[in-house]
Amino acid sequence: MASMESSNSSKKVVVLLRSIGDAPILKQNKFKMPGTDKFIKVIDYIRRSIQRDTLFVFVNSAFSPGPDETVIDLYNNFGIDGKLVVNYACSMAWG
Amino acid sequence: MKQMVGTCEALVENTLALDGTISSSDFYKAACAFVHRWNLINSDFPSWSWIPCQKLRWISSDDKAEGYLSLEKICLQRPQENEQEKGECFEEIDTAGNNNESLDEATLVPFPSDHQEVHYYDFQILHCASYSVPVLYFRAYSCDGQPLTFEEMKKDLPSQSEDALLNSKWTFITQEEHPYLNRIWFKLHPCGTREWMKLLLLSDASWFKNAIAIERYVASWLSVVGQVVGLRIPMEMLKDGGGIQF
Repeated sequence: MASMESSNSSKKVVVLLRSIGDAPILKQNKFKMPGTDKFIKVIDYIRRSIQRDTLFVFVNSAFSPGPDETVIDLYNNFGIDGKLVVNYACSMAWG
Repeated sequence: MKQMVGTCEALVENTLALDGTISSSDFYKAACAFVHRWNLINSDFPSWSWIPCQKLRWISSDDKAEGYLSLEKICLQRPQENEQEKGECFEEIDTAGNNNESLDEATLVPFPSDHQEVHYYDFQILHCASYSVPVLYFRAYSCDGQPLTFEEMKKDLPSQSEDALLNSKWTFITQEEHPYLNRIWFKLHPCGTREWMKLLLLSDASWFKNAIAIERYVASWLSVVGQVVGLRIPMEMLKDGGGIQF
């Protein structure tokens, strides 16, 4: 559960990126970003960093956030120990 | 990591297979749990309901409950997206320990105010026996009830889905006969589902504690699949302890 002070939407959120499976590990896997930012920024950042188009991104509680969710909403609902942990894998495939 | 997975596997034998699949009878349980929680959390939103169906004659199965989840007449208004602009904002992401306060939040893309024509969607979630995973069927129609063609529906899809459609034309969304209704519906292919459901299941230690896995399976699945068609699932559906305990 996130702490009370974190519910302020102007707060910056610490995001920790965790690679799953054979996804490359990023050198910079931890950063702060404004809570008002949309999740698409995180997705785009990972996609560009690992240079793969097929990306599967999810947070704990087995949930894949939509690109339009705000980072602060995700943090308030799923943040652990002051961070939002975002898992990413390369194996998203539809067929 | 591998060792941890090994121990977890033993713990969840009574709940779900860890390969991402779900049996038909577990799907029924998962669907009921999903409907219950959805209605509890989203009372203002149209309800998902379980539609029982007669057993398909050509599939031998001893499942007690056969049917599918249904959500009808959902109005999807598509904001006109501007992905290019969104994509350019990534440099703003700040590094930890580097308190750069010059972040310019004013460059955030404003929410688009223009909307395209309103279309209605019916969604149904069936259990796919050959892949042992849920599969999404949907149909689309305009205000006057006229069904949308594939080309018209395609324009409604979020931009990432349009890309996927280009890259995997025959294994993403196709038009197929609905197994129960014997009409042509759009179908999102389930062949990759097991793989990403497995990733989801393995990523979260809390899943291994008890039967929570079955309870949340459909919501987790829908958090991924809903994005393909632009159907949002409230985060409350996936929060720990946020709903009813079974």
